[in-house]
Amino acid sequence: MPRPEIKMITFSIDGREVQAPENTMLVDAAKYGDVEIPVFCYEPKLGQPVGACRMCLVEIEGIPKLQTACSTPVKDGMVVHTQTQRVHEAQEAVVEFLLLNHPLDCPVCDKGGECPLQDISFGWGGGRSRFVEPKRHFQKPLELSPLIAIDRERCILCYRCVRYSQEVSEDYQLVLQERGAASYVATFDGHPYVAPFSGNIVELCPVGALTSKPYRFRARPWDIEGAGTVCTMCPGQCNVTLTVRDDRVLRVLARDHEEVDDGWLCDRGRFAYQSFHVDERITSPLVRVDGELRPVPWDHALDVAADALKRAGGAVGALAGGGTTNEEGFLLQRIAREALGSPHLDSQRAPVDRRSLLAIGDPGLQATVPDIEYAHAVLVLDTEPVDEMAILDLRIRKGVRRRRVRLAVASARPSALDGNAALSVRFAPGGGPAFAAELVAAARGEAASDDARAVVDLLRGAGEDVVIVASERVGAALAALADALGLRDRDGAGLIVVPSSANGRGLREVGVLPDAGPGLAPVARPGLHAAEMARAGAEGELTAFWLHGVDPLRDLPYRERWEQALDRATDVIAHAAFLTEGIREHATVVFPVEAYAEKDGTLTHPDGRLQRVRPGIGLQGRNRYGWQVLADLGRRLGLELRVLTAGMALAEVAAAVPFYAGLTQDEIGGRGIRWQEREAASAYPRPEGLPDLAAPTVREGAGLRLGTFRSIWASPEVEHSPALRFLVPRQRVEMAPADADRLGLGDGQRVVVSANGSRVEATVTLRHAVPAGSVFLQDGLVRDAANTLTGSVVEIRPAVTSEVAG
Amino acid sequence: MEKLLFKDIDEPGLNTIDVYRRRGGYERLRKALAMPREAVLNELLASGLRGRGGAGFAMGKKVSFLPKGAMDVYLCCNADESEPGTFKDREIMQKNPHLLIEGIIIAAYAAGANKAFIYIRGEYVLQADILDAAIAEAYAAGFLGENILGSDHSLSLVVHRGAGAYICGEETALLDSLEGKRGNPRLKPPFPANQGLYQGPTLINNVETLSTVPFIIEMGGEEYAKLGVENSTGTKLVSISGHVKRPGNYEIELGMRSRDIIYGLAGGPPDGRKVKLWFPGGSSSPVLTGSDEDLDLPYDFDTMAKAGTMLGSGAIIVVDDSTSVVEVAYKTAYFYRHESCGKCTPCREGTNWTLKMLDRIRKGEATPMDLDIIASVCENIMGHCLCVLGDAMAMPVSSMVKKFRAEFEEEIERRRQEADLASAMPEPELPLIQGAVA
Amino acid sequence: MSNEVRRFSHGSRVPGWDDAVDLTKEPASVPDPATTPVPDELRAEIEAAMAKYPDRRSAALPALAAAQRHHGWCSPEAIEQVACVMRLTPAYLTAVATFYDMFDTQPVGRHRVYVCTNISCSLRGADELCERIEQAAAGDPDISVRHFECLGACDIAPMASVDGVYVGPIELDEVDELIDDIRNGRPPLPRKQLRLRPTADSLPLDGKDNG
Ligand SMILES: Cc1cc2nc3c(=O)[nH]c(=O)nc-3n(C[C@H](O)[C@H](O)[C@H](O)COP(=O)(O)O)c2cc1C
Ligand code: SF4
Ligand code: SF4
Ligand code: SF4
Ligand code: FES
Ligand code: FES
Repeated sequence: MPRPEIKMITFSIDGREVQAPENTMLVDAAKYGDVEIPVFCYEPKLGQPVGACRMCLVEIEGIPKLQTACSTPVKDGMVVHTQTQRVHEAQEAVVEFLLLNHPLDCPVCDKGGECPLQDISFGWGGGRSRFVEPKRHFQKPLELSPLIAIDRERCILCYRCVRYSQEVSEDYQLVLQERGAASYVATFDGHPYVAPFSGNIVELCPVGALTSKPYRFRARPWDIEGAGTVCTMCPGQCNVTLTVRDDRVLRVLARDHEEVDDGWLCDRGRFAYQSFHVDERITSPLVRVDGELRPVPWDHALDVAADALKRAGGAVGALAGGGTTNEEGFLLQRIAREALGSPHLDSQRAPVDRRSLLAIGDPGLQATVPDIEYAHAVLVLDTEPVDEMAILDLRIRKGVRRRRVRLAVASARPSALDGNAALSVRFAPGGGPAFAAELVAAARGEAASDDARAVVDLLRGAGEDVVIVASERVGAALAALADALGLRDRDGAGLIVVPSSANGRGLREVGVLPDAGPGLAPVARPGLHAAEMARAGAEGELTAFWLHGVDPLRDLPYRERWEQALDRATDVIAHAAFLTEGIREHATVVFPVEAYAEKDGTLTHPDGRLQRVRPGIGLQGRNRYGWQVLADLGRRLGLELRVLTAGMALAEVAAAVPFYAGLTQDEIGGRGIRWQEREAASAYPRPEGLPDLAAPTVREGAGLRLGTFRSIWASPEVEHSPALRFLVPRQRVEMAPADADRLGLGDGQRVVVSANGSRVEATVTLRHAVPAGSVFLQDGLVRDAANTLTGSVVEIRPAVTSEVAG
Repeated sequence: MEKLLFKDIDEPGLNTIDVYRRRGGYERLRKALAMPREAVLNELLASGLRGRGGAGFAMGKKVSFLPKGAMDVYLCCNADESEPGTFKDREIMQKNPHLLIEGIIIAAYAAGANKAFIYIRGEYVLQADILDAAIAEAYAAGFLGENILGSDHSLSLVVHRGAGAYICGEETALLDSLEGKRGNPRLKPPFPANQGLYQGPTLINNVETLSTVPFIIEMGGEEYAKLGVENSTGTKLVSISGHVKRPGNYEIELGMRSRDIIYGLAGGPPDGRKVKLWFPGGSSSPVLTGSDEDLDLPYDFDTMAKAGTMLGSGAIIVVDDSTSVVEVAYKTAYFYRHESCGKCTPCREGTNWTLKMLDRIRKGEATPMDLDIIASVCENIMGHCLCVLGDAMAMPVSSMVKKFRAEFEEEIERRRQEADLASAMPEPELPLIQGAVA
Repeated sequence: MSNEVRRFSHGSRVPGWDDAVDLTKEPASVPDPATTPVPDELRAEIEAAMAKYPDRRSAALPALAAAQRHHGWCSPEAIEQVACVMRLTPAYLTAVATFYDMFDTQPVGRHRVYVCTNISCSLRGADELCERIEQAAAGDPDISVRHFECLGACDIAPMASVDGVYVGPIELDEVDELIDDIRNGRPPLPRKQLRLRPTADSLPLDGKDNG
């Protein structure tokens, strides 16, 4: 639904005339007059007010009963009193009621010092208790999940956590049981509350009833500092505040940004900070000596790396990914192109050519994150938001739930959003681009499949404002589709293209592409894209690899070919935080990469917002800033890069990317800025037409078609965060019950999945919603990852279990 | 007085459509469908019929609040009947289900509703089964379904069985429960007339209210309004229970003297005992005493309101002088503590706290100061809750404390002394109150 | 000691309050039909209930009631089956089931006896009656007796609902007969069943008591 218009009205509060937007709830309207009305249950992010806690009672002239300010929309001429005897008595009564059974164990409570209940008891309570009955006492704290502890004595039954579970994350796992004074927060039959966004309830709880287990008893509010930055663990780029004590990150909180994250975080973003401070992290440069990676002085490592790169020259293949910043990507490509003379650069998992990228990145076709909420319809195409850009999942749900957005999902694998979709269609694994081409045909009124036509009809039927959330790999067809649906230059409509790495959009705009330089400018001599690099490496054409935040064995398809390539390469220079397999086995030089909490630089959000990553803690161990390492390398390779600070590095980027022209750290600030909204956006290169759209590929074969996906939990940060380790996925093969029946397989059975002689072991997971004929395996795992398989048609048979004696 | 709702009530087979039709059943529907909707509504307005479920809101007015338009409009019949002391709707549903169905169809016609539900408390198994059978008969006879009797009025009717929760009688909790949720009341506004079931405009009325509708059509609103007294028109079913010789349901004309109901119809307390106190409108109404002044009050909405209590659901519970007021207050508080949905703070915590204090009085562990705290806690509950369940405990309990303060104080003293004596002996295990006081 | 307010003697316990989760269990999302077998009869009943309403979720109460009939109580397994057919999470349904008094989330006997101990019934001796019925049924795993709030039949106080059948007024000396009827699968105290009772208003006001 389109955004509502806002009208200002005048009302009176405690005798003063105040202007506020019409129909905002009195609690919020009061703030325009600097009046604070205490609340517990009110939290607009959770949807409609529920009026449960009764803390916010106020007097409104003309209404006999006291009214809850959290649920009363302000109207012109309203006369409100918050300081009368009646209101005070009611507030004192509610505080007294809330404290009846509250244990008041503030000295041992994690919330103490930042507790709304403490603050409100102090500010609005009567300061005495007449309750002489025994308080209830229960065992505490109890585990609600491996991440969250629950203390039911402290719970004031404000409904926030359960409303969150039901109305925001929609996992419906956390509920109230029983009723009345016996009500308590719990899950079904003692199952843990584990969900991708569960940690948000800790932040929502107004008391110390829900606490983060990793944070419990680690600090007090008066000995911590908050540092704002941006999570770089996925393209969502949520804004966060780091809780820092003694130069360690002890907690990550949301730093509410309506245009980016809406105030939520996923559990990876919230808890994986633990990986910043584990021993396994690389915090020193390493060089392989006698087959073993050894810590060495920086100068030595830089010399070795520079020599290796110089030696390979034009035969270097450079890849960037992970949390690589714009500055780092930019410096990397300059060194590769200018100092080494190598055009082989890439930042994408699947190749999309420059012309397509130019078209899908066109400012006229971009939607913003909040547009998802206000659109008439949203199409999720060939992407699983919860895995690929987690926080979008919540935004899409919000749009559907609160603003009746019509949602269509088109994907190979059943989606977490199917339940919210007005229409879900499935295509064969790998068929995303082809299905998009069909959608284009359907939108143009040409012949197309029923599914494609149904999707287009749904989108058109809903209204003009359509937002398409799609994976980058879909490519050119996205631009054609947006045009065919008339989305060009339409406010509130357009594309949100989910890249394959956290800063995928930034990296491509600063030129980490084989066929485009900074600003997507054409290059004289295009290089190889990632998959070709693997082949070229395996065949000896490329002799060195330069990996920035990427481990090809983990992050890219064609694992076998990459293994050969890395094996054969004379040198592998890696910038990495952890010794994942490819780095551990093949790197000759490793430079430590800062955790984002240490980093200084900028990222570009998939909707074009440049955001600053700002250091909240000092560099750990012997770490150096990434831009500094690259500048040092450049200098050794004869390229003077003129960067002495992160700001200077950004200036270089801004000078090279025409549509970033003039950007500074100050302009980006704490909330970021979308480049499309700046004047320089007009410097975006004109689209140059589209390549032919993918034709439907009909893959014949006797076996099952393999689709792959990478779970939100498949990442080294998760593996190295003790609290999250229980979530590290193991390989399982999702299949339709019909296929399993045919093959005589049952749920939970161990099987071998093979293709062209390559094989992985997995556990069968039967899913009703998987279309027969397709099976799905995960990528990004430590072992048995899907990229081990060399074909896309697989066979499945029971694993031969070795007999264990006894 | 001529009976309306209870006419032929014990006639065998009245619950079947044949007998019902032989008694003139569904003729009022025919008559109503021949009238324009507005004319039916006007009869309802003219009748002055006030809701029989508790709040006493004018039914015609409620119907007129429903927005007109193309959306689905719903009608929900409130058959949750859980207010202690109330059992009148049960009698209608069990013995004359078609009367209710006919009333629903006519009311739905006036309201423009095309989907109707009867939310019946889950404990009423027999009555729900009877309603199901009667509805099937009505469908078969063409009184329900598409184009009823050839008119443009269509209506579906489904019996929805509750599962044991008093709060589901509160109209918005009823809607949540009917939507398959926990029965928590909703914030008002929006009122159900605007945004009720499935967010659509919804008319909610009590069984007795809806069952009266056919008579209004039959007699005409003005004629109906001649029954009873001003502002309390018509007849009312009264459920009378407790310490009386002939408990049961009686149909009276509103405005009848209370004494004539309690003594005249129900025979008064047995064994010549005296009325100590009585709840005039279910256990949530502030109590009246056995004084002549109270017993002589005419039984109608306005008089009861003026006397500081309410007519409520029309359920009179009589307590005679053989029972301690402490026990009555305790039972009352126990019920509301048990039934509080827990959504809002004052009700959840306040009912629980009050019960604990009353329990201490019973056990001889209280002092007269506790009476002040009880009164103050009740004060703190009243008017501060999301729905009126909290008030429903606070009102009667505080009325008992106020009107029987002397007895409370005596009891406190007496029970303390008893407890003292008892504690001189080996201490018995204190039994937990059933259901445990949390 | 006796003059002091006694503390901590009537401390409270609500089942569930002291329970932590079992971390070895998987999180409970909507059960997948591929791995959750549901008896055909129960599935049909739930689906029929869903078809009655504009929104399938409205069928939660009838569906839980059906599952309770089928399984004897709202066991975790029963709730999972309902969740599977209704495409809801088991937690959602647990929240609903625990809200309503008539859903048993703990195992109970085949026969449910609700004894009303609300005001009108207790004025007529319900508390003692309830105790006596509990004693009479004690040790019989087939009969679950529990006290209940007003059942809407205060005219037959003190009363009880036996598997949904209302009987009353029950005299103390009828308790054994009542339990015997239940044990032997006979209609409970047929002469005292509400269904047979005339409306008070239609009886002559001849001064006879009927309470
Ligand atoms: C706690 C509570 C319980 C109620 N229980 C019932 C009930 O069991 N039956 C009923 O008809 N109305 C009950 N009501 C009143 C309803 O909210 C509503 O006013 C009524 O159903 C409207 O119908 P009427 O206008 O025909 O009386 C209850 C109200 C409250 C606050
Ligand atoms: S929740 Fe707040 S008030 Fe309660 S113990 Fe903790 S700090 Fe104290
Ligand atoms: S656990 Fe916290 S958020 Fe949840 S209901 Fe209790 S106080 Fe509110
Ligand atoms: S959604 Fe992505 S950016 Fe946001 S917190 Fe999670 S991992 Fe970080
Ligand atoms: S904040 Fe208004 S009722 Fe809770
Ligand atoms: S008090 Fe027992 S049935 Fe009403």
